Amino acid sequence: MGDSVEWEEMASSRVEFRGVSKTYRNGGQPVAVLHEVSLGAAPGTVTAILGRSGSGKTTLLNLAGAMDFPTAGEVLIAGRATSALSARELTALRRTRIGFVFQFFQLLPTLTALENVELPLQLAHTPKSRETALDRLGWVGLEDKAGSFPYQLSGGQMQRVAIARALAHSPELVIADEPTGNLDDASGAQVLALLRASADRFGATVLVATHSAEAAAIADVRVRLRDGRIVERA
Amino acid sequence: MTLLYRLILRPLWRDRLRTALTILSVALGIAVIVAIDLASDAATGSFQSSMETLTGKTDFQILANGGVDERWIGRLDGLPVDAHFAPVMETEATIAGIGSVPLYGLDFLGDERLLVSRALVRRLAAGAVTATVAGRRHTFTKRGTLDAPGEFLAIDIAAAQHLLERYGKLDRIDVTVSPGEDAARVEQAIRATLPPSYLIEKPGARNQENQRMLRAFRWNLRVLSYISLIVGAFLIYNTISVSVLRRRGEIGVLRALGAGRGAVLWLFLAEALMLGIAGGLIGLAAGRLLAAGAVRLIAGTVNALYTTSRPAPVALTWSEAWLGLVTAAAVALASAFGPARGAMEVAPAEAMSRGAHEHHARLHWPRALAFSAVLAAVALAVSRAAPIGGYPIGGYAAALLAVGVTALAAPAAVVAANRLTRSAVHMRLEGLLAARSLAGSLGRTSVIVAALATAIAMMASVATMVASFRETVALWLDVQLRADLYVRPAGPQTAGEYPPLAPQVPAILESTPGVAAVDVFRASEFHYRGERATLGAGNIEIVRRYGRLRFLPGEDRDAILRSLPGRDRAIVSEPFANKFGVRAGDVLTVPIGDRNVALRVAGIYYEYSSSQGYVIVDQSTLLKYLPNQPATNAAVYLAGGANADGVEHAIQLRLTGLGASVAPNRELRRNALAIFDRTFAITWALEAVAIIVAMLGAANALLALVLDRRREFGLLRYLGASAAQVRAMILVEAALLGSLAALLGLALGGALSLLLIFVVNKQSFGWTIQFHPPGGLLAAALLLVWCTTVLAALYPARVATRLNPIEVIREE
Repeated sequence: MGDSVEWEEMASSRVEFRGVSKTYRNGGQPVAVLHEVSLGAAPGTVTAILGRSGSGKTTLLNLAGAMDFPTAGEVLIAGRATSALSARELTALRRTRIGFVFQFFQLLPTLTALENVELPLQLAHTPKSRETALDRLGWVGLEDKAGSFPYQLSGGQMQRVAIARALAHSPELVIADEPTGNLDDASGAQVLALLRASADRFGATVLVATHSAEAAAIADVRVRLRDGRIVERA
Repeated sequence: MTLLYRLILRPLWRDRLRTALTILSVALGIAVIVAIDLASDAATGSFQSSMETLTGKTDFQILANGGVDERWIGRLDGLPVDAHFAPVMETEATIAGIGSVPLYGLDFLGDERLLVSRALVRRLAAGAVTATVAGRRHTFTKRGTLDAPGEFLAIDIAAAQHLLERYGKLDRIDVTVSPGEDAARVEQAIRATLPPSYLIEKPGARNQENQRMLRAFRWNLRVLSYISLIVGAFLIYNTISVSVLRRRGEIGVLRALGAGRGAVLWLFLAEALMLGIAGGLIGLAAGRLLAAGAVRLIAGTVNALYTTSRPAPVALTWSEAWLGLVTAAAVALASAFGPARGAMEVAPAEAMSRGAHEHHARLHWPRALAFSAVLAAVALAVSRAAPIGGYPIGGYAAALLAVGVTALAAPAAVVAANRLTRSAVHMRLEGLLAARSLAGSLGRTSVIVAALATAIAMMASVATMVASFRETVALWLDVQLRADLYVRPAGPQTAGEYPPLAPQVPAILESTPGVAAVDVFRASEFHYRGERATLGAGNIEIVRRYGRLRFLPGEDRDAILRSLPGRDRAIVSEPFANKFGVRAGDVLTVPIGDRNVALRVAGIYYEYSSSQGYVIVDQSTLLKYLPNQPATNAAVYLAGGANADGVEHAIQLRLTGLGASVAPNRELRRNALAIFDRTFAITWALEAVAIIVAMLGAANALLALVLDRRREFGLLRYLGASAAQVRAMILVEAALLGSLAALLGLALGGALSLLLIFVVNKQSFGWTIQFHPPGGLLAAALLLVWCTTVLAALYPARVATRLNPIEVIREE
């Protein structure tokens, strides 16, 4: 084991990494990105994944979001290993249990703010999707921007819409990759407050990959990665 | 060059499939143009008679309507000029397994045996030659071989006259002026001797005449062949637009790093040029191959409608190849100029997002719609212009403007469709996303819609024109073909050639029990104002009693026909009247035999068998000037209660051995429509290629949309969209696109078909065609195009579902 996390601790986690390694092939050569990482994140907590560029933060988040699979070890979400799930189960998992927030917002340019938030609900055929989406938009303070298209919003507003979208279907796990990396300080602070609140208010498990000290400050647990290994946990 | 490689060539290579589809579209467009050009040249370019090479240099040819009286040879030989006068007969002989070849009657042979050209002798079996001439089979003994190019037969002039039962008549006299003699003096002497109705022309004049006669036909065929390239131009526009859109960020960086506006413009023009030249080169090769097939189709049309076509080998010259390449490059540059200019105008600081860029397109659609309305008004005005030099320039310009009108109206149509279908398609998420994507990428989707709509419109308009023409001809045949049986010389038929019936045929027909009346028709070709037309003479009283000839509105059929017998009066066909600006009451001077006869036009009748035009007189008028003119066909009307099959059988028995073919009304009608369908086979082939190009375009454009929006598809997968949902979204988008293009295409097609029928056709050929849109055919074709558009989306959909979400999100 690469670190000393207790198994009992991990049993109560919503997302668990058990001895996870990830290797990519680059020009035929294996490149190890994560080395035997074990980690657990409990409901209602914010875990900050810190580290330099290339330390493996985004890979860790992709594994946590079941968008990618470990080369060795396993990633469990709600007690089930992601690599054992079928394509249909993975789709269902992303629809119901996971919400994503990206550094570059990733809103669909042809949809309004409200429609962007409503999108995951519609994909999951959730009833009363419009009401729920409006509620989430209200929660991030952008009710008045419901009919605006992304290009009509500021960066901070776009990221708040993205958070509303990530929370639309009340996911148990929210994954945010550098959510403030593209924002000014004021907007960044707003976004971080919302992520913190989503753990506190909705009981979500929030995983945030970040460089920023401000982002790290809102976290309950801070995990530092270096060369694909956990080197510090606080 | 480095920039060109990095920014243009590398992305082109990365999107190999799309690049290949664009090149293929251009290649098909160029291939069709080259094929039609080469095939038209081959099918219509070789009217030069083998005779000209056989008899050496001929200075003049003497021709006369109804044939040249052979007695003039003696008079001409007696002229005090140093020239040689050679009598010539020219007809067609059909040899089993070989087909139709020219048969010349010449006066230097002396016996009845046959001379065969060297090229033909290689294909003939040893021994006697059996050939059908004027519907009768003859067996000839070979006398020797003639060293002259081309395939032909030659016999003695007297034997030829005997074969054709044209005793005392010659098809023409060839005049060769001896060295040292003044050709002008010879011509003057000949003119002073011969009757004024005789025609003296230079050799090659007939070739020029043929070319002139075929001018409108070739011109219209050429214009049709450009349809595929017009559709292809939209695709290049689309490819370059996508290229510019995808590289807006890169362009901004380049400009910030000091690249000039001109450099950016040329970068994208170079991309178009490369696509154009690659497509042009492939198109040239493919066109050369397609030409071989097209020659047969075009030669068939020329044979059926104009004159004997003896296709020459297809030859791609350097100048034609160069022209093809230049056309491809020019079309590529012209269609890419708009988007390339857009690239040039990207401001360095403008790291414009696609959303904002498309927002501009959304704001500009009302302006585009206003331009479209202005252009439509201009098109309407232009369509009313008179033909220029015989060409329907106004009609075609209006058609091109109408395409522009549609292209400019396409964004508004997309917006309107999005609004109108909001409640229907938004019921499901896939519909909402597809409709939003169409309206959201307005700049791009409207180009695709315009390209597809143009292809559909071209298809619909040409189909409507051909179907309307066919229906008009079918109705006309019902009216025109009132007789029960038709008799003509056996053998293949060629427009402009009127082989005679055996002299005893009319009497046999009249004496057959059950026959009520026989209208004997005598047709011959004549020259009118430098162009060829047909002079026909029938029994007008029978036509009046039994026929249903239709005249232009306001003309009294019965009174017109009653006024013809015994007087120098004629009726003329609509194409003749339109071509020469003739009206009822005008006087025409028509050469008949030795005389130039003044005929007063009594009326103008509808006629669709030839665009060359007919002048019809009563038989009494013709026989007054040309007493021995042979019958060329006959219409037989049966007595009431006669057994049609029985009478037909009896006539066939009685005509055995006389080389005549007897056909009942229905067979003639069927044959006429079969010839019509064969004539338009090439048109359908051109249509098919245009549709294929449009389909390639649809696949190409949809693939471009998918590749350009891969981040969106990746995101959808992150948000929990299943592969089936992504696929459904793309298919719905293709279906919406196809429906919109079909609707716009149908509207444009309607306008284009009106232009084709009432402007282009009328001005080119002089026919009045009634508007009969082929509802069933159009519905089926639209359904096919729609289904193919949706099918064309399957591959892009597959690409979208196989994208790796992590990679496409990380690309940002």
